[in-house]
Amino acid sequence: MSQIDTLKSLETLLESFLERVVKLKERRLTILEGINRLDDITRQSSQGLDITDNIGNWFATRQQWLSEKILKPADVRKINTILKELQKELNISSDSSPAKNKINSEISRWEDKSNQIIQKLTLKRQPEIKNSPDNHNEDTISLFSNTLYRLSGLFEDVSENKKHILTVLNDLLKSAQAQTNKDALILSAFIIYYLKQKGYKVEPYVKKLKEAETLFKPKMFNA
Amino acid sequence: MLNSGEKSYYRALLALKSKDYFSASENFKKAAPYFEKDKEFKLYFETTELLIAVKNELARLKKEDNIEIEEVFSNG
Repeated sequence: MSQIDTLKSLETLLESFLERVVKLKERRLTILEGINRLDDITRQSSQGLDITDNIGNWFATRQQWLSEKILKPADVRKINTILKELQKELNISSDSSPAKNKINSEISRWEDKSNQIIQKLTLKRQPEIKNSPDNHNEDTISLFSNTLYRLSGLFEDVSENKKHILTVLNDLLKSAQAQTNKDALILSAFIIYYLKQKGYKVEPYVKKLKEAETLFKPKMFNA
Repeated sequence: MLNSGEKSYYRALLALKSKDYFSASENFKKAAPYFEKDKEFKLYFETTELLIAVKNELARLKKEDNIEIEEVFSNG
């Protein structure tokens, strides 16, 4: 095989890999495109341009996202932040045009529906807590890998818009206690150990972790 | 609002979709400071860079081939 043939073969392989990446990311790309479009519309609005048709089209084509539940909590929060900006730009008053009022009510409807989704997603974690212990026959590597994947998603959700890791840790410990969220408990322990290695004073957090842990212990033994 | 890193990552994926690898690379470069620890991002970015390097090398080799052929004709 000549050097050109080898390179061509590598070129085909790399192109095929990137094609598959795009295919895998197709849905995600659609969501990002939607968020990006909404961001652009908000910018148009702040420049004083009429956005009635554009925002109407946006809601018409993306409303099903909420019913199909394809959005991550972080996406919902991002969209809601942009919509809040837009709502501020609209500056609704009793003299506002029907078009502005319509946009405003569409935004409120979206926010109501999306809040339900965020709550539902949080509640969905509960069965995992009940079913997870004592899976001796399962592939422990895969189980740990899945947990790591979930923890990474949880961290992404909780850390969004936060400025310090201690704030994230605080929220996770609250979630571990209030919602008996086992993933939040594990992630809290992970962060505490990380902070300890970095020289932080972690005693108050260890205390909170132990308090949260007691809520899980009966379930662990009963399983 | 979306930060410029997220926008660039999105544009890079969009460019990959239309097989515009040079534009994808440009956008990956802009997004890189925001996704330093994202392994998935790095994989896509580095694969795109490698593909561009392969394409450049292929173009160079083909050019050399053409020159050789031209020389053969001119001498022959």
